Amino acid sequence: MAALQYDVLIIGSGASGGMAAHTLTKLGLNCVMLDAGPQVDFQKDRVLKAVYDLPYRGFGKPGRLPHVLQANEFNANQWVDEQQVPYTHDPKEPYNWVRVRMIGGKSNFWARMSFRLSDYEFKGKDYDGFGENWPISHADLAPYYSQVEPIFRVTGRKEGLAQLPDGNFIEDNSPDSPAVQKFAAAGKAVGMTVTKMRRAAGSGQLASSFNLLLPDAMATGKLTLVTNAVVREITIDKNSGKVNGAHFHDRHSGRELHVNARAVVLGASCLESTRVLLNSGIANSSGVLGHYLHDQFYISNSVVAILPEARDGKGGRGFGGGGYIPRFRNLAKSEKHNFLRGYAFDFNTAGTPDAKYFGAWGEELQKTLESVRGAAFSATAMGEVLPRYENHVSIDKNVVDAWGIPVLNFQCRYGENEFNMAKDAVDTLAEVCHGAGWEVLHKNPKMFPPGYSIHELGTCRMGDNPKTSVLNQWNQSHDIKNLFVVDGSSFVTGGSQNPTMTILSLSMRASEYLAGQMRAGNV
Amino acid sequence: MKRRRFFQTLAAVPAAGALVAQQEQRPAATPPGPAASTELPKLDTAPADAAAEMVPHFFDAPQFAALRKLSDILQPSLNGVPGALDAKAPEFLDFLIGDSPADRKQLYRSGLDALNASAKAHFNKPFPELDATQAATVLAPLREPWTYDAPSDPLARFLRAAKQDIRTATANSREFNLAGAAGGGGRRFGAQSLYWLPLD
Repeated sequence: MAALQYDVLIIGSGASGGMAAHTLTKLGLNCVMLDAGPQVDFQKDRVLKAVYDLPYRGFGKPGRLPHVLQANEFNANQWVDEQQVPYTHDPKEPYNWVRVRMIGGKSNFWARMSFRLSDYEFKGKDYDGFGENWPISHADLAPYYSQVEPIFRVTGRKEGLAQLPDGNFIEDNSPDSPAVQKFAAAGKAVGMTVTKMRRAAGSGQLASSFNLLLPDAMATGKLTLVTNAVVREITIDKNSGKVNGAHFHDRHSGRELHVNARAVVLGASCLESTRVLLNSGIANSSGVLGHYLHDQFYISNSVVAILPEARDGKGGRGFGGGGYIPRFRNLAKSEKHNFLRGYAFDFNTAGTPDAKYFGAWGEELQKTLESVRGAAFSATAMGEVLPRYENHVSIDKNVVDAWGIPVLNFQCRYGENEFNMAKDAVDTLAEVCHGAGWEVLHKNPKMFPPGYSIHELGTCRMGDNPKTSVLNQWNQSHDIKNLFVVDGSSFVTGGSQNPTMTILSLSMRASEYLAGQMRAGNV
Repeated sequence: MKRRRFFQTLAAVPAAGALVAQQEQRPAATPPGPAASTELPKLDTAPADAAAEMVPHFFDAPQFAALRKLSDILQPSLNGVPGALDAKAPEFLDFLIGDSPADRKQLYRSGLDALNASAKAHFNKPFPELDATQAATVLAPLREPWTYDAPSDPLARFLRAAKQDIRTATANSREFNLAGAAGGGGRRFGAQSLYWLPLD
């Protein structure tokens, strides 16, 4: 019997793979999807527990997930086991690679912050001369953003900002709280704009590929979904030079299988996709595969301040609130700072500061915490990281994962631009807090290690020049026409915005193009 | 086998399903006593801590005595709310730190030694024997503003970690949370959450 052959093999079921399946099956293509993890049941695989009933009182098993700062004892099992799928780096230059292997991938757990990139990112080189422009502009991607946003039910307030294009929102025109109004007024002095958080409301508990994309794809009858399939490498037809499927291992037994397809779409997450390509030895005639790794640097609690008007419970219900401050630095070419590009903030004005910020203990500390309960401002700074050739991943042939697949080695560090930007972000935010009459309790310009934001981007970037990029503007390999990579690895620059809406839109656009090319017989 | 004999044989051998049906139709002997429940029981069980005490074994006696004193100073019982000693935070930390990577073990062991040494240097007696005013002198590094990078001084670095760990070990204890519930405050926010079972 002849082996089954699908039209398209999709590797990965998260945001990018899910959107590829959603789009390709709707256009009539017969797809098979491999995911390295299981399908989870959000009712049966999670149980309500008291923290004191956990083996480690909520601390978690020591040393289990040293790179996943987001992990706690409740959620430890949702992340990829670092012993089962290790990676290597210089101990002095850590990279926090945070991974999820289950149907829906990281889209089951993302923060749902939903932004568009602007031409300050797509055409960044035109503004400051650094790096490369994307081969597309916001106008090219806008029709896809406008289709993705309603699927994910993105809420937001339209502002007309060039650096943060408005979307096809469920509009949120609720008034800002008194605290946010005061902060926004103070922020005008440094050019800040404060807007509502733009967020995917999703459906029910989730805004995931698992509940918003894959069910529709399955309903077409054209998607075969295979769980626990750990892909080792993409295979090549020696006669045509085109990809023709992939070798994978059953997660439980290690048994090896091969699946056949006329085209392959990689959406395994930025660095897993690049790892598959590097282990396959393909799509790298440019020599830049694995390079230009970037993300957004994050500083949680970059500034913590007390609102005197809200001390001792005076603020009351509805006084505080939160919001988003989009990039405001280097929007004009005439601006001069000691860094390129810019940063954004996500803030809240109704928190209670952590006890660590107070030089007190015992009863004194308890009284202090009672006084400031619900009266604190805090903000996470999110800065653009410049994509640089030297920040890269490669295969470490000396280390393999539980299925014998060689792992990634990371060489990545933040540079002077990021350090200067972080300092400006924190100093400027503290200045605005002072301007609002708030008491700055703490400020910190120290960035988390690269990778912490879980927004790893680049390593398989797109471009018009096959000598300096891996993919063309359609997320299609320059080298192999029936190979597409649709996740964050295709980014040329990332801006300070969370990338998920852009990943989804790029995947939809690339998938429509692939379907058209297959219909035309070009792939 | 002749065709007629074949069908006679078939008729003599009941199918498996028919055999089961015959068994079910046979009247069962009635056992003595009340009728047995068809549901399996779900028994109430007790957590180990409700029936037994933790056995600390990681820290030596002077270190553990210093940890108990430090726990009581940093997180005392206030207004009827259990403190660190009520929550058995020192005993739990003896377990947790003993199960931790080497650098964390070293931080605690050398930190507790430094705490006792500082007390002896200032007041010529170990930390557990200090009064509140004397202890405050030794704990002065905790008055320094918090910074992202840990302090370079080993005692200051230890005290910062211990303050956080003692608070968490107390706030996440059964004693602390059940006392809150018994006092009418309900369960503390965050004390319960959805726990991900290991993925199959």
